Amino acid sequence: MYRQLFIASLLFIFSFPTYSAALMGFEDSTMLMTEAGEYNQELMVNYAPSVRHAFGVEVMRMSPKGERATTMTGLNYTGLLKRWNFPSAQANIWFMGSVGEAIGQFHGFSYSPSVQFDYETTRLYFLAKVRMVRAPGMNNDVAAIQGGFSFYETDFDETQPWFVLEAKTTRNFNPRTQVTPALRLIHKSYFLELGVTNPFDKDERSLRLNLMLTY
Amino acid sequence: MKKIIIALSLFLASPVLLSATSIKAEVNGMVCAFCAKGIEKKLNAMPEGKGSFVSIKRRVVVLELKRQHSVPLEKFTQVIEEAGYSVSKVEKVEQSIDYIKAQLKANQ
Repeated sequence: MYRQLFIASLLFIFSFPTYSAALMGFEDSTMLMTEAGEYNQELMVNYAPSVRHAFGVEVMRMSPKGERATTMTGLNYTGLLKRWNFPSAQANIWFMGSVGEAIGQFHGFSYSPSVQFDYETTRLYFLAKVRMVRAPGMNNDVAAIQGGFSFYETDFDETQPWFVLEAKTTRNFNPRTQVTPALRLIHKSYFLELGVTNPFDKDERSLRLNLMLTY
Repeated sequence: MKKIIIALSLFLASPVLLSATSIKAEVNGMVCAFCAKGIEKKLNAMPEGKGSFVSIKRRVVVLELKRQHSVPLEKFTQVIEEAGYSVSKVEKVEQSIDYIKAQLKANQ
């Protein structure tokens, strides 16, 4: 069973390029997600009236190196399409989409649908995501994968440290490929991640901070 | 030595710790703090509950009931499932949350 799931996960990952983490909280919860880096900045707040749906607002700024940035502001929907609960693991397929307006280098109606697959145990984590990022004249589609492990197993009331590695490609964007090793801390209702994007390239090296709060 | 002390403490305190009724479940898919928080929030909203306990490591969820209160096992299971997880085993036990916590610690 686990072997089949593992193979299925691998197939999924390599057929769907990817990117991020759990996209919404629990029923009747509000989630705040931020990303602050040199090339991408994002802020999203959503409310989940049920465990399967969340609605929110999002601001995303794409800042390619040497070019003018584009900021997209819009309404956002997150849906849990499928969940598998295993004795010591969980896997999900998510849909997320936002529509709004782009301003900056590109102007006009913007839309950004995405599909994400994640698989997680108490010690291992894996995620694959594809995201269209479009506006008139703009195509910054993203494909990303993330994998990570926790240094040790913890319980609900303890802080759990993780090492996470993300590889992300963004179409028509400089840098096209971003590799980010990061340290992630998770505790009850917060998630804090600090990483370095493209650490081995002195021209592209930059810090990235992700924060997620759920209430 | 630590286990002996815990076992002895459990034995001495058992008249108090066993005088409570709890519902205890083994839950599948509960692997992260956010998962556990969602379940805890649902359980804490139940008026029949005195307190709740969630252990990700042991995949255990417990709701200790107030005296003279009861919750059908089906309803408890439904609450967990509505939070997005599945229940592999559920039972009523004459134990308090403190006793179950100590028991889990002793079995580590």
